Amino acid sequence: MTRATVARTPVTTPIAFSAEQLAEVRRLQSLYPNPRGALLPVLHMAQDTFGYVSLEVEEYVAGLFSLSPAHVHEVVTFYTMYFQQPKGRHVVSVCHNLSCHLAGAGTLVDHLKQRLGIDVGETTEDGRITLLTVECLCACEAAPMMQVDDRYELNLTPEKIDRILEGLQ
Amino acid sequence: MPKLTINGKDVEVPPGTNLIEAARLAGFAIPHYCYHPGLSIAGQCRLCMVDIEKTPRPTIACNTLAADGMVVNTETDRVKETRRSIMEFHLINHPLDCPVCDQAGECWLQIYYMRHGLYDPRMTDEKVHKPKAVPLGPHVMLDAERCILCSRCVRFCDEITRTGEIGIFNRGDHSEIGLFPGTDLANRYSGNVVDICPVGALTDRDFRFQVRVWYLDTAKSVCPNCARGCNIDVHVNHRRPHHNEGRRVARLKPRFNAQVNKWWLCDEGRYGFRFVDDPDRLSLPAGKNGGPPAATTWDDTIRSLAETLEGARPDEIGVIASPRMSNEDLFALRRLTERLGVTHVGFRVPPAKPADDDDLLLRADRNPNTQGAELVGVGADAKPILDAARAGRVRVLWVFHHDLFASAWHEVEVRQALERVPTVIWSGTNANRTSELAHWVLPSAAWVEREGTFTNFQGRVQRFRRAIEPLGDARPDWDVIGRVLAALGAEVKATRAEHWFQELASTVSAFAGMTYRTIGDSGQIVAAAQEAATR
Ligand code: SF4
Ligand code: SF4
Ligand code: FES
Ligand code: FES
Repeated sequence: MTRATVARTPVTTPIAFSAEQLAEVRRLQSLYPNPRGALLPVLHMAQDTFGYVSLEVEEYVAGLFSLSPAHVHEVVTFYTMYFQQPKGRHVVSVCHNLSCHLAGAGTLVDHLKQRLGIDVGETTEDGRITLLTVECLCACEAAPMMQVDDRYELNLTPEKIDRILEGLQ
Repeated sequence: MPKLTINGKDVEVPPGTNLIEAARLAGFAIPHYCYHPGLSIAGQCRLCMVDIEKTPRPTIACNTLAADGMVVNTETDRVKETRRSIMEFHLINHPLDCPVCDQAGECWLQIYYMRHGLYDPRMTDEKVHKPKAVPLGPHVMLDAERCILCSRCVRFCDEITRTGEIGIFNRGDHSEIGLFPGTDLANRYSGNVVDICPVGALTDRDFRFQVRVWYLDTAKSVCPNCARGCNIDVHVNHRRPHHNEGRRVARLKPRFNAQVNKWWLCDEGRYGFRFVDDPDRLSLPAGKNGGPPAATTWDDTIRSLAETLEGARPDEIGVIASPRMSNEDLFALRRLTERLGVTHVGFRVPPAKPADDDDLLLRADRNPNTQGAELVGVGADAKPILDAARAGRVRVLWVFHHDLFASAWHEVEVRQALERVPTVIWSGTNANRTSELAHWVLPSAAWVEREGTFTNFQGRVQRFRRAIEPLGDARPDWDVIGRVLAALGAEVKATRAEHWFQELASTVSAFAGMTYRTIGDSGQIVAAAQEAATR
């Protein structure tokens, strides 16, 4: 997966969970023999709350786990679904693995780049859409496909993509 | 104790011994990268594969405990083939830049490749490139392409210093070692990661590119920078003297001692040797400030010193010894003060700022031989001597090594004292503000330039050996003191440090029965400490 690399104005909200979120952190931590196990869900919470996982967010989360920030950074850089840079309001991830590729994913990616005026890994200037490519999302039977935020869009054509883009605000 | 067979050889090992250590005991070296006896087991590099009878496939030796009746083979065809493949994997993205790599000659990638390598690489793809020559902190340089991701450095910072600075970021063949962005590897023990890195990924910023390691010579020694006395090897460059502007001591490396420092050194000690080749080193006995001629010979110096000391009443002489002197120096000095009947003797000068310690190695007492000074018996607090000097009651003051201006004593009082004493003699290695005001300046050989022993805070007497010749006319303190004693008419039989130690051992009961031989390479505990330990 290509990562989003274009930086927008950084989020300025102070980095701190609410009291309810902190309670949730403690609950998640108690589910594991080693509280460190809760790092992944807590990082997702952080990403949802603060927009992306900045270095400051990593430090904040490290504090919640009494871990060194380097070890949180290990986890964030290992997984591809944590955004280290600000992302658009919507994330479009086009599968470009074998089945989708054979079914024309390459053309679709070019089409998206051209319509959005950005390269893969970038975010539109208005902060609306981040474009990514990803490996097989296990929907080969409906190739070519892409994921838009948390839903799958299947059997794509350029026209279908245009319609989907119109719906993204 | 489990009994097992390794390569047909029977061996009995302590319970809890892993197969790498068991094989070592049986005399076989199993190649490995990530295993380190001072760290947890990571099982990461997969190089330590062995065949165990009744086990379907090769198994990692580092994470397998020796068990009764085990039959282990480290050299089956299958094991050799596995090793070759693993070496091939480790080298897929390695840049093969040995000609410009400072680790060459002590690199385990080179060593194991020569022993177990494939010699005919099959990779045709472009290698993954990663950052090179990235300073991680004041002492350590990273080359991420050379890293084999054994995680030793990560575990060191997690388990030994508990500072956790290093991580492995990204994944797959893009994985790389690094620090949390914006931070430094600046813990007090950072140099150790260079020692444990099996390849050229972490190198020493101070040492790199000075000299190829195969030109280095080694002497066993002890760090003089705090009361722990970590065991070290002094690496010196005799064979390429034109390299690095003639710097003779190339680096210090830890020498394993289970009771003292294990595998480690602190950075303060590791890099605390630069004074040895510093431009402010003293190399000729010299007079100053109305003393004898500016540069003179030792023979003349010794004669005048003896005359000066003889010309003063015993209660007009003050001696400030130093816990940086060896046991041998201190014992020679004790004989001199006894011979002259001097009572103004002390060695304790409080540091300007109390130093800090930690729970790993570093001791607040930054002197190597405070215990020795106490046991040999060269007085205690030196403040009364300073006061006597200020009051004009001292005619000859001999100060060893201290810079009294860098002490907790009031600068004005130190100056008053030094200005009121007609003859101030100063012995030491490097010029300082006290030596500036002395009338006699006597160059001492640095610890790497002579033999001797220090007694560490545990009461462990430890030897240091000569690694290089003394600079210019610098001499060990025991030698200068012995010659003054002889000039005063005393019988001095000692001509070597070892002889002074023999005399010390037959005079001071704490050292009774000790010789350089019994002290050996790992030290020996003085009687009192031994009793305390068995009590
Ligand atoms: S830098 Fe060296 S010690 Fe650290 S993981 Fe890489 S090879 Fe191992
Ligand atoms: S802990 Fe003390 S003896 Fe050991 S290396 Fe550091 S200064 Fe030297
Ligand atoms: S290859 Fe695209 S979903 Fe499997
Ligand atoms: S030493 Fe056993 S896996 Fe690395």
